Amino acid sequence: MAFDREKARNFCIIAHIDHGKSTLADRLLEYTGTLTGKAMQEQVLDSMDLERERGITIKSHPVRMDYRDPSGQAYVLNLIDTPGHVDFHYEVSRSLAACEGALLVVDAVQGVQAQTINNLYLAVEHDLAIIPVINKIDLDAARVDYVTEQFIDLIGCDPSEIVKVSAKSGVGIDELLKAIIDRVPPPKGDPEAPAQALIFDSMFDAYVGAVAYVRMFTGTIAKGQKIRVFSNERQFEVGDIGWFRLARISQKSLTAGEVGYIATGAKDVRHVRVGDTITLAETPCAAPWPGYAEAKPMVFSGLYPTENDQYNDLLDALQKLQLNDASLTWEKETSAALGFGFRCGFLGLLHLEIVQERLEREYNLSLIATLPNVEYEVLLRDGTVQLCENPAMLPDPKVIAEIREPIVRASVITPKEFVGAVIQISLERRGVQTKMEYLDVERVNLEFDLPLNELVVDYYDKLKSVTRGYASLDYEYLRHRADDLVRLDLKINGEDVDALTCIVHKDNAYSWGLKLCQKLKELIPRQMFAVAIQAAVGTRVLARTTVQPFRKNVTAKCYGGDISRKRKLLEKQKEGKKRMKQVGSVEIPQEAFLAVLKVER
Amino acid sequence: MNTFGIYVHVPFCGSICAYCHFARTAVHDGALRTSYVDGVLREFALRRERCPNLGAPSRPLATAYLGGGTPSQLEAPLMERLLDGTVGQCARTDDFELTAEANPETFAADLARSWRAAGINRVSLGVQSLDEAVLRQLGRACDPETARRALALACTMFPRVSADWIIGPGVGKAALLAELDEAVACGVEHISMYILEIHAGTAMAARVRDGAVKLQPDGQVARLYLAAIERLAAHGLPQYEVANFARPGAESRHNRGYWRRRPWLGLGPGAHGAWGRCRRANHDQVGAWLGDLDQGRLPEAAVDTLTVGARRLERVVLALRTREGVPLDWLPAGALDLVRGQAEGLWRLSDGRLRLSGAGFLRIDTIEEALARRL
Repeated sequence: MAFDREKARNFCIIAHIDHGKSTLADRLLEYTGTLTGKAMQEQVLDSMDLERERGITIKSHPVRMDYRDPSGQAYVLNLIDTPGHVDFHYEVSRSLAACEGALLVVDAVQGVQAQTINNLYLAVEHDLAIIPVINKIDLDAARVDYVTEQFIDLIGCDPSEIVKVSAKSGVGIDELLKAIIDRVPPPKGDPEAPAQALIFDSMFDAYVGAVAYVRMFTGTIAKGQKIRVFSNERQFEVGDIGWFRLARISQKSLTAGEVGYIATGAKDVRHVRVGDTITLAETPCAAPWPGYAEAKPMVFSGLYPTENDQYNDLLDALQKLQLNDASLTWEKETSAALGFGFRCGFLGLLHLEIVQERLEREYNLSLIATLPNVEYEVLLRDGTVQLCENPAMLPDPKVIAEIREPIVRASVITPKEFVGAVIQISLERRGVQTKMEYLDVERVNLEFDLPLNELVVDYYDKLKSVTRGYASLDYEYLRHRADDLVRLDLKINGEDVDALTCIVHKDNAYSWGLKLCQKLKELIPRQMFAVAIQAAVGTRVLARTTVQPFRKNVTAKCYGGDISRKRKLLEKQKEGKKRMKQVGSVEIPQEAFLAVLKVER
Repeated sequence: MNTFGIYVHVPFCGSICAYCHFARTAVHDGALRTSYVDGVLREFALRRERCPNLGAPSRPLATAYLGGGTPSQLEAPLMERLLDGTVGQCARTDDFELTAEANPETFAADLARSWRAAGINRVSLGVQSLDEAVLRQLGRACDPETARRALALACTMFPRVSADWIIGPGVGKAALLAELDEAVACGVEHISMYILEIHAGTAMAARVRDGAVKLQPDGQVARLYLAAIERLAAHGLPQYEVANFARPGAESRHNRGYWRRRPWLGLGPGAHGAWGRCRRANHDQVGAWLGDLDQGRLPEAAVDTLTVGARRLERVVLALRTREGVPLDWLPAGALDLVRGQAEGLWRLSDGRLRLSGAGFLRIDTIEEALARRL
């Protein structure tokens, strides 16, 4: 059956974490008969284990549903899943660009959250038809009227436009399907025009190479044709093409209005990046779909194997992860304290955590990650600008004219009673408040311009703790801005520990150095000799503490059987010590390298 | 000359001390003690079957040690049989050392006479303290007067006497030093000074957990230990191992064998032995130990064959405990900051050896860990 554009609907779901996006998606699969109840695996769209564990979506996975409405009319519904976390802002925008409509899902108990609003703005920018959905209406604590008010304030909709569902029990799903058909416009686009396909995601398949997930805007692409990727002008032959159920279903071609995949045979997902445009090599379209940008890493961290002999395993694992994750960057790095490792770039903190966890879990590596930091622009006195993503590599202060750090616009939505606390922790982290508006009688939307570095250190944890978990956060890069920043070095027994070096604001250097020294003192165990810990800016020591040596650590008796006990204990301790790093003659436990994260302000 | 030692574990006690974690039982009678001695003789015979040159003239016995438990719980005839059937079967060196441990409360004149007659030439008395409150807290069934009488008796009857002392809760510096003065004046030429260790499962561990016993801060223990080292050296009993002090020539030759990795045979429940490349451990419980012997099996719970690395590790950590110290070329490169340790008084470097000081001995476990990490 030929593809009938008039009967196609391309849409996505916008929701805050835990507001039930995955459950709703599962329910749509079930009600359209795409999946039968028994075969249904909970949250089928989230395919990675980690995603399922954390209840969040990292990798979007589109799915095509054939739906027959009550009148018997057949439709094709394409659900494009969107990543549900602030780190993946750009990816979300590309997914939205592939749709004509969006379900704006809000939890009936929790109400509108920061992320909901930001993604809503994105959807409006892309001119999508918005269908407001209140989920979890069957819960005792549901506040349907309250959320209805929020929706009216937010998008100016009519109460009758709001679809009320329980994704869990299935209440309201039929109405929702009807709303999708009635309100999401069918795709436009000339199937005879030159082909223009937007890549909104990609993945690596060991058998067929890089696979691009695409939305066809115009034209038609068929299996076997030569295609061209716009930004890098690389050409590939379409090895396979088609659309998705739970797995890929091969077709002869994809045509304007359709959502599907193109197997390119590329050896690397970085050749088919999200946001790029695919066209036909012989009859290319005139221009790419607008808005392509390479997703730039925002957060950096040094990853080191605890055991030096795992270096090659780590290299291998990073290469494998990168096959499937075009936004993960890394380069080789050497630390005097930690040995050989990699400076890795991530979209954000969650991305960092996920990569780190996958390396440890799937590749069985034991890692030390240095404090996450950001990319600084360093203007030198000779007028050149250097990028610096490792504090220890900051040039000599004498040659620096200014240091610019990335500033983000952070939006926080919080119940009103926590406004004071949120402002306080934001100001403590050099935030500048730019907005405060009441979303309703209970909730306030605050916006701050905040150095990203402050945000990655502990802002999110702190925000959650001062608002008892009620606040939500979203952020977006604004610009680099010069500030009075200095490099704070940590010395242990007089030796610089490069992995502990950080860049801080000059005004905070003293108190920061002092607290860092104290925290390290708690984390470094007593040793044979006293351990001197110093924090210094340049040659000026700002703070110092000492870990006193053991006063007594002696096995009094060592005769007959004690000798074997002793040896076994030493052998066991030696194993345990593998989690420690030797800096000079001092043993430093892994957690000390993240001490900065644990410092109270 | 290749020599060897024998250790015989006597697991019987009159009462159980609060801090003890060795193989021991306070429930025993004449019949069990007799089966025990039969068992030791059978074990000795079995081991000799497996290793015929045990006690051959080419490999004489240099030392034997009866430890416990409380060897003084054995009746004189049983002790005599035990020694005849073991030590008595071996060729011995001319300066053969035969030590037995005794508790002051069971150490009386007739026992002392019988021990002398059986060939015991060195006695090690578990005095621990001459302070009533300290003894009570340790759960020792002995009072200071009994201890003093036992010390005097031992010094009269035996050519060589050692006494155990303990640094634990309630021990003060002045009192400890005065007690050591008294022991030396009495004729004791060897002192073992143990810092109290709390072992899981002992009554002492429970009391510490409940707060009934308050342990001294490490700094105070360290001061007591260093003061004892100084005082005993002043009396002519310099330290020769972490916990041991002796007049020159009066060191325990048996114990030195452990630290020099000499072979020895272990007999009795809970006894350990080392022979060839193996370390062997017997069953702790008298019943299990006897059970194996009844079946004609060696009563072993574990036999560890040491790898080259394990032997090297043992060699270093054992030598480190002694006054002679460790040859520098045994130390793994870069494991110790030799200059700093010497500057801070943890050790001295001379004649190509590293010798720990008292302050160094106090941190020996940390030093061993650093060495083990690089070995």
